[in-house]
Amino acid sequence: MSDTLKRRKFLKGSLAATTALALPMRASAQDVLKMGVVLPSPIADVGWSHTLMEGVNTVKEAYGDKLEVTVLENIAEGPDADRIANGLVAEGNEVLLLGSFGYQNGGIQIAKRNRNVSLIHASGFMVEPNFAPFTAKYWQGTYLMGMAAASLTKSKKIGCVGAFAIPELITSINAFMLGALSVDPEITMSVVWVNSWFDPASEQEAAKALISQDVDILFSNAQDTPSVIAVAEEAGIYAYNLNSSMKSYAPTKYLGVVGTDWGPHFKRLVDGHVAGDFPGANYWLGMEDDVVFTADWNPDIPAEMVAQIKAKEAEIATGDFVVFKGPLTDQSGAERVAEGVAMTDGEIIGMDWHVAGVTTPLPS
Amino acid sequence: MSGLEFLLAGTLAAALPLLLAALGEMVVEKAGLLNLGLEGMMAIGAAIAFICVYHTGSHFVGFLGAAAVSTLTALLFAALVIGVQANQVASGLAIGVLGLGLSALFGKSYESLTIQGLPKLGLLGLSEIPLIGPTLLTQDIVVWVSIGMTFGLWWVLNRTKLGLVITAVGENPEAARAIGYPVSLIRLYAVAFGGAMCGIAGAYASTVYTPLWADGMIAGRGWIALALVVFGTWQTGRVAFGALLFGILSLGELTAQAMGIGLPSQVLSSLPYFVTILMLVVISRRKLRSA
Repeated sequence: MSDTLKRRKFLKGSLAATTALALPMRASAQDVLKMGVVLPSPIADVGWSHTLMEGVNTVKEAYGDKLEVTVLENIAEGPDADRIANGLVAEGNEVLLLGSFGYQNGGIQIAKRNRNVSLIHASGFMVEPNFAPFTAKYWQGTYLMGMAAASLTKSKKIGCVGAFAIPELITSINAFMLGALSVDPEITMSVVWVNSWFDPASEQEAAKALISQDVDILFSNAQDTPSVIAVAEEAGIYAYNLNSSMKSYAPTKYLGVVGTDWGPHFKRLVDGHVAGDFPGANYWLGMEDDVVFTADWNPDIPAEMVAQIKAKEAEIATGDFVVFKGPLTDQSGAERVAEGVAMTDGEIIGMDWHVAGVTTPLPS
Repeated sequence: MSGLEFLLAGTLAAALPLLLAALGEMVVEKAGLLNLGLEGMMAIGAAIAFICVYHTGSHFVGFLGAAAVSTLTALLFAALVIGVQANQVASGLAIGVLGLGLSALFGKSYESLTIQGLPKLGLLGLSEIPLIGPTLLTQDIVVWVSIGMTFGLWWVLNRTKLGLVITAVGENPEAARAIGYPVSLIRLYAVAFGGAMCGIAGAYASTVYTPLWADGMIAGRGWIALALVVFGTWQTGRVAFGALLFGILSLGELTAQAMGIGLPSQVLSSLPYFVTILMLVVISRRKLRSA
């Protein structure tokens, strides 16, 4: 029986492939929609995979019994991931969520071969009618964290533990710096790159190395575990991270979180798939889309600063304030963006220079 | 705290997981076997130790549990290579992969949790010495015990009959067997010892050094430990020196970045590995010359 089912699906798939973007031919609402999720790291109480799963759960709640979700966690990028994603398609999953950049090439192949399957992909750049990447504008939130950091730092030195020096992380750091400078122009920032997505011990040593240089605010940039946050709490300095709150690991010194809520976005895409009209495009989402938010602000932040931050947050959401807007100078003091000019999305995506104030040279 | 103080305070702890795992493997290799499963045995030790400490609150139980379970894993390796004469490389790799898998399985519901580490202890009033007192000479109990253990191991291997027997079993098993030593049994003990050391090394990483559990947290340290045995030319002192050098280089790289020194961090990250390769070249050249 399952054989015939598969064959029917296959026929439907090949038909869809030949007619490409034909009329909606989605299964009727009585059918259960199968969704497959591939995640790069284990699902924990915090971190990247956790945040993605929260988004998936939002969709699950909306669909109830009509949605069956298969989750495969801790899947290394590469041939294994491609094989697993193909397996999910063969098992009849019509929507795939691929939770890491490195799944892109395999995912695109699946999208091209199976036009009836819709793929949602994290932080890529390739687009197909049935393949939609998404990225968060974390920098909108890290700018606000910079303002908060400036109001709390005593040494006027802030720091960041970064995974890899890629544009996505560099923009977060630059916005953090700009936010701090908007409050206090004397602040400087040191950055330590661990050159690993996952090595809690090294991340902690990097944090300690920064603390030994009098850094008293830390940005845990793209660490999936509370490694840096826990060290900061122990050392009695403030720290914040991205995606999901780690306040429980630093009850007194947690500066706040630049969170992401993918629920509404995922639901929109799944709705589109069900309606036979999957909106394949590159999604770069921020506060204006209710994807990026800040939360768990530390009560030590002065009340007037909290008010300023809230006001700025509202301006970012409405588009009245743009973070990457000239005049912006780089570390060498050269002007990179002229007065009054806002950087384009393309320029921000490819940002490979640090703004003035960041003391650590960027690895080249 | 300056960069120098950071290095003095952190190097021993950073080197410890490498040191323990490498010393264990050194004994295995001295006895004539090669266990490539270090990474997995460390991971399983880390997971078991974390679970034990999380529930009992006792680090002693954690270290004991880690040593026991990693020893069992190592004995599986022994059963394969000594018991049924299976290929060592394949068996070692298989045990390594198995260990990683089991650690992920056991640690699943503890992912990203944290626990209390161990307090740092000054050594017999020496912590009053300026600069090195509060940094280098203030370490947790495991560091002090491990330093003692390193000297103990050196003594056993170089100054006792047991050390000679292990070397004999490794270098000339036929002769050792001919004069009545139970070669297989001695190798079995060596493999068990290596497993226990890996377990303790992993336990230190997850319950004292970080202290948290996350799948994959050993992050290649088992392979570095394996390289350190070669780096140290199977001599206790040199292996310990290698572990320290590795620890100080990896911390030094991070410190240099934090201080804003304009070296490309990728170069700095690869420095420890580069030094290992350099050492191998030096060793083999010396061997060629003396041959």
